[in-house]
Amino acid sequence: MTDDTKLPLAGLRIVDISNVISLPYACGLLADLGAEVIKVEGHSRLDTTRGGAITTVLADNRVGDDPWNRTGGFNLLNRGKKSVALDLSRPEGRVVLTDLIKVSDVLMENFTPRVMRNWGLDYPNAAKLRPGLIMVSCSGFGHTGPYSQYPGQATTLEATHGLAYVTGYRDGEPSKAGQSFVDFLATWALVSGTMLGLRYKHRFGKGLWVDVGMYQLGTTMLSERVLDWEANQRLGERIGNRHPFLAPQGCYRCAGDDAWCTLLARDDAEWAALCRTIGRPELASDERFATNDLRRTNHDAIDAIIGAWMADRTKFGAMERLQAAGVPAGAVFDASDIHLNPHMRARGLLETVAYPPDRAMGKQRMVIGRPWKLSKLPLAVRGPGPRLGEHNQEVLGGVLGYSPERMAELAGAGIIGTQPSNARKPVSMSMEERVKSGRLASWDPDYKERLGIED
Amino acid sequence: MPGPMALDDIRVLDLSQGIAGPLAARLLGDFGADVIKVEPPDGDSGRRMPPFFQDDPDPEKSLFYLMLNLNKRGITLHLDTEEGAAILGRLVRDVDVIVESFPPGYLAARGLDYASLEAENPGLIMTSITPFGQTGPYSQYESDEIIAYATGGMMAISGTVDREPLKHGGFPGQYESGMNGFLATLVALFTRDLTGAGQQVDLSIQEVIASTLVINQPFYSFAGGVQGRRHPEGSNFGQVMPCKDGYFVAQPGGGVTWDGIADFFGRPEIKEHRFADPVERVRNGPALDEIILDATKDRTMAEMFKTASEQYRMLLGIVQTPQDIANCEHLAARGYFEEVDHPTIGKIKLPFHLWNMSASGSTCRRPAPLLGQHNAEIYGGDAAALRARGVI
Repeated sequence: MTDDTKLPLAGLRIVDISNVISLPYACGLLADLGAEVIKVEGHSRLDTTRGGAITTVLADNRVGDDPWNRTGGFNLLNRGKKSVALDLSRPEGRVVLTDLIKVSDVLMENFTPRVMRNWGLDYPNAAKLRPGLIMVSCSGFGHTGPYSQYPGQATTLEATHGLAYVTGYRDGEPSKAGQSFVDFLATWALVSGTMLGLRYKHRFGKGLWVDVGMYQLGTTMLSERVLDWEANQRLGERIGNRHPFLAPQGCYRCAGDDAWCTLLARDDAEWAALCRTIGRPELASDERFATNDLRRTNHDAIDAIIGAWMADRTKFGAMERLQAAGVPAGAVFDASDIHLNPHMRARGLLETVAYPPDRAMGKQRMVIGRPWKLSKLPLAVRGPGPRLGEHNQEVLGGVLGYSPERMAELAGAGIIGTQPSNARKPVSMSMEERVKSGRLASWDPDYKERLGIED
Repeated sequence: MPGPMALDDIRVLDLSQGIAGPLAARLLGDFGADVIKVEPPDGDSGRRMPPFFQDDPDPEKSLFYLMLNLNKRGITLHLDTEEGAAILGRLVRDVDVIVESFPPGYLAARGLDYASLEAENPGLIMTSITPFGQTGPYSQYESDEIIAYATGGMMAISGTVDREPLKHGGFPGQYESGMNGFLATLVALFTRDLTGAGQQVDLSIQEVIASTLVINQPFYSFAGGVQGRRHPEGSNFGQVMPCKDGYFVAQPGGGVTWDGIADFFGRPEIKEHRFADPVERVRNGPALDEIILDATKDRTMAEMFKTASEQYRMLLGIVQTPQDIANCEHLAARGYFEEVDHPTIGKIKLPFHLWNMSASGSTCRRPAPLLGQHNAEIYGGDAAALRARGVI
């Protein structure tokens, strides 16, 4: 166990008014670093990851009595936070929020820009409530510029910020890849902006405002392509899994069900090592493949040769043979590999979080920690995501000192709550049907035994 | 003139090459740090990465290098010589942060591991950015963008089920790792402000990619489900779809109801339960695709983006090209681009500011260094002798 008081953000209070993925995840990471994160969320307008979407999964796929407290994604993203469920659409709710800002160090929000402005809680006004306040905002397009009031989430932004244009099978249509790509850039930008703000305040005694626009961040991932346009008027093309300037590179089918392995050769030495490993040393001196440029020209022929070798091997077998010879190679990891692969296990990216029995979620679940370790600062996910409104009393009664009468009044008027007033119907679809409909590739009913987590 | 900046008291030695490490070091520089890039005598491998300015493969004209090494001074040093390693040991005494991307064990073999350097410079932070991290059975494995994307779990859920798993185009995993290297260094700096102690940051690029699996990972650990690639038919809503002059993506959520989405497409049948219910929508995917493709075949990207965003508050994106981004008036209005005057290629406009701040924001203060440009400035009178001995 880590000693929470020794964590770098111990004693720091953050008001986190966040929805969906980007900012919730950022504040979850700040909670890992020791901050007291108070998630202010609506019981009349539930955070999307509390349920109702096909992409949310409930513990053991059981709906139960309080599905909004039991989705996997919410509990991962909002780990270690406190929850205050407050109706911000009403002025009485915003009075409570104002009181919270007055006693907090950092205010984080991801509304479209007009919302905080209309409530008189944009940075200049919020900073009057709490001198030295650090405010961090996340929106689709940022708070300035002609698109600033446009709504934006990662799925649609992946097209607008240009990544879909460069992604897709060779000579095919543009495509998205993965899930919610730009949300994670925003997560890391938001944490970075907060840390910069904290250090700035520490050194100079002043607060500041961070304005993260996800569109702008996403375009940055294509900087070299934008520069290629600026300097050479080249748009580039979609090349699937090939490398823009090295060859060969690809993803090849291996023995087993939907099993694949990737590889590349970056120079003549790696190409020769690849040829030896696949039992074709003569190809290293074959004039068709003698240089990188020739390997690019004759890529299809190389793919056929590598494909034939891969077809008889497991994805991990192929990866290990190639890596032993110094050839960059990587199996395509699915969700089960991410949990069970020996390297992943040894590194410990996924952490086991304990759940109390009243959560009805099993005793333990694994969630993503952080992709970096600090040698003298042991960090860990500090707990599950909170139940809706779990800390209404602790925060409003305790931190803000509201009287029992005031608390009863707020609860009676529905300004605070612990039950959703209009929850979306939870998605009820069996794991078998999810596989059958193609929403899942497969299902491991014995996953808890495999993971070694307690039921 | 910019005011005081959060990192203007920090000096960084950037020993890294390629994309991720150099970006992490550049970001420290963007927010005020004095960054000295240390390259081998033949230069950072990034100098050999296309695209090049006017397609001229000159090591001073890599656009990748140019963009990743803004705000740095540059020196050369041959670490495989004893004298070179000793010089690095001395340079480290005057810095707060080292960013490095050598294979684990490379620096230790030269007596330059974190423990040795920390003994000379208590409070030193060393940020190590490697494909699989410093420990574990794969720590010595070779990698590149596609390997990180495969082993990080992204390719298994990208592309269609009838074809091979697909990676994103370009090098987003390397950029993401650069952002994380910067972030973790900020955490270490803030911790040092409080305790005085430095430490080593051990970042794994594989884990950076895996950290983005926030839907996929809990599906397994909360219910045993393994996500795969989508079926090409019947799952296009929320994916890239064609319209009159290009492509768009629409999704539910944001400020619009499902009925509003049906109104935007001008097709009332979309309001029916078989599409309005999220589970039924999955079951009736092919029919929904057909309706939307028909409804958008005569509409343009620009019109749909404007109408959806302004009139319906609906989430809709359009597939923009690098040219569209270079010419984007929204980005220009946010001050996103900077112009630098580079000694070899002259003036060029660069994408620069990752986000905006009311104070202490990123500043672009100098172009990328020429190879060894600041040797005389850093090594002083020793530079000529060092060059003669092949150390720099």
